[in-house]
Amino acid sequence: MDRRRTSSAVARRLTGLLAAGLLVAAVTGLIKLGEPHVPTLSLLVLYLLAVLPIAIFWGTPLAVVTAVLSVWAYAYFFVSPLHSLLLADAQNAIGLGVFLVTAVVVGELAARLRRAALEAQRLSNEQSALRRVATQVAQGVAPSVLFTAVTEEVGRLCDADLARMERYEPDGTVTGVGAWSRVPAHLTVGERFDLDGLSIAREVRRRAGPIRLDSFAGASGAIAQEAQTLGIRSSIGCPITVGGRLWGVVAASKTNDVPFPAATEAQIAGFTELVATAIENAEARAELMASRARVVVTADRTRRQIERNLHDGAQQRLVSLALRLQTAQTKVPPELSVLNAELDQVHGGLTDALDELRETARGIHPAILAEGGLSPALKSLGRRSTIPIRLTLRAQLRLSERLEASAYYFVSEALTNAAKHSHASLVVVTTDITGDALRVEIRDNGQGGADFSRGTGLLGLRDRVEALGGRLNLDSPRGAGTTLTAEFPLTGS
Amino acid sequence: MGLRCFIVDDSTDFLDAARSRLESDGVTVVGVASTIDEALARLDRAEPDVVLVDVNLGSESGLDLARRIQTETNVDPAQVILISTHAAEDLIDLVESVPAAALLSKTALSGVTLRRILDDG
Ligand SMILES: Nc1ncnc2c1ncn2[C@@H]1O[C@H](COP(=O)(O)OP(=O)(O)OP(=O)(O)O)[C@@H](O)[C@H]1O
Ligand SMILES: [Mg+2]
Repeated sequence: MDRRRTSSAVARRLTGLLAAGLLVAAVTGLIKLGEPHVPTLSLLVLYLLAVLPIAIFWGTPLAVVTAVLSVWAYAYFFVSPLHSLLLADAQNAIGLGVFLVTAVVVGELAARLRRAALEAQRLSNEQSALRRVATQVAQGVAPSVLFTAVTEEVGRLCDADLARMERYEPDGTVTGVGAWSRVPAHLTVGERFDLDGLSIAREVRRRAGPIRLDSFAGASGAIAQEAQTLGIRSSIGCPITVGGRLWGVVAASKTNDVPFPAATEAQIAGFTELVATAIENAEARAELMASRARVVVTADRTRRQIERNLHDGAQQRLVSLALRLQTAQTKVPPELSVLNAELDQVHGGLTDALDELRETARGIHPAILAEGGLSPALKSLGRRSTIPIRLTLRAQLRLSERLEASAYYFVSEALTNAAKHSHASLVVVTTDITGDALRVEIRDNGQGGADFSRGTGLLGLRDRVEALGGRLNLDSPRGAGTTLTAEFPLTGS
Repeated sequence: MGLRCFIVDDSTDFLDAARSRLESDGVTVVGVASTIDEALARLDRAEPDVVLVDVNLGSESGLDLARRIQTETNVDPAQVILISTHAAEDLIDLVESVPAAALLSKTALSGVTLRRILDDG
């Protein structure tokens, strides 16, 4: 490895030297052309044309060599005695000396300028890459999209040939979640790897921080073998830490021997922080959704339970009591008319109490919903509606309890609103199964102008629908009726 | 001759109350059951003129029983009356497709009502 790296550095320096020689020769030729007309000493400055490019592309040491070479060529070709390196005139010697110093200083400045420009370019690339990723995080793009994007940005920015992102699994393996390569290569995403052999993921976990690997040569294990197949030489890996725990790793690798610059770890850290933020956001959102769903589902279940208890308890008892009272009445001799009238009144009161209890129970949770599902429950609701209603119920299958309850309460609340606010002459209720969603629509031909901000009813509906992962849409232009549409996903609820 | 009635309900309190109510009206209760299996096992032998089936049989559904009575016993659907604690109009949409003569609120139970329903059907 070390030998290979040294040999490539030597090759680079030899190329530089060759370029220096060619440039000096070219300038010498140029001066030769001008020589008959212009005093040659003033043409010495032209050798800067050779020194500057060498300084910019190969750095100061080679620029010094070029300057010396230039002085030598000048002395040899243009200063008497010609074709000799001896100088007859002291003034020429001073001139050459001044040129040498000037060339070295100018060369060094040019090299620095070049380095500064490169650094500025690198920083600006890094900033735009970070900005692109940050925008995606803010937009809440799907994690898989973000992982792929970050992997590519890291790969390009580090000047790597390959880059990977992996997630640590509880069972000690890692799963590839993002991959990028400069040239097309077969890279696996979604596959699990054991961490038994040498791997960047294993080393990052062991060190709990960024690591560098110089070689996979001779290492065993699935990942090391893949690295060897891909011709990976040097690699760098940085941890992704989410909420204090090691979540995953980003790795960049090269197939050549140029080492990653010293600042690479810091550069990658900017990206891993963004990834961590995105993962934290996604986890928080998922938790929020789950807890919203729990709130709605628990409330619905409680309502249903209360209705059950009323039905099985008080209602049932009152019914039996009413029957027993009637039985007793049949045994009262007809001549006891006062007693009979009294018993009639008791029976009437009992029946009224039962009716009120039923009314209450139905408001809490309609029994028909559990017994028969959404369509019978909506028909029953429509039967009691105070404004004319048309039902088109295409969702006829039984759905999950929470979905049926949510769809029912959705229609119930929207109907109440239509009756209360719309002055409509007709309400149309439609249910549909489209793809893997339950679609429920309530449309009235009233005055429109419904607004989430003017009550709690519509807001509550939106909460309910979104809690089950669905979408609520309100379309209520003034004077043109109101359409409320809810789409509930059938899966996951 | 007295009407022969069979009652299926998961509440023994109700079975008791309904029996005395109907018997005071001259109806003979020829059998009772609390579950679908009990009902199917006893119905044919009891030879009822009318079968009262509670819509809500605890964990079982009276609607299922009504369907099975049609296919698994000699009782005619026109002899089956669904009964419920709920008001009849609350459940009417539920029983549309169920093979039964009527849906009756339990509080409306009496010999007179049963005879009228059977005569109408
Ligand atoms: N179908 C409709 N037609 C016209 N206006 C409507 C309709 N539905 C709602 N609105 C308007 O939107 C407002 C908000 O409705 P929302 O259901 O949130 O509150 P509310 O019905 O006034 O009170 P509550 O919190 O008791 O439901 C209503 O006050 C009403 O002005
Ligand atoms: Mg409202």
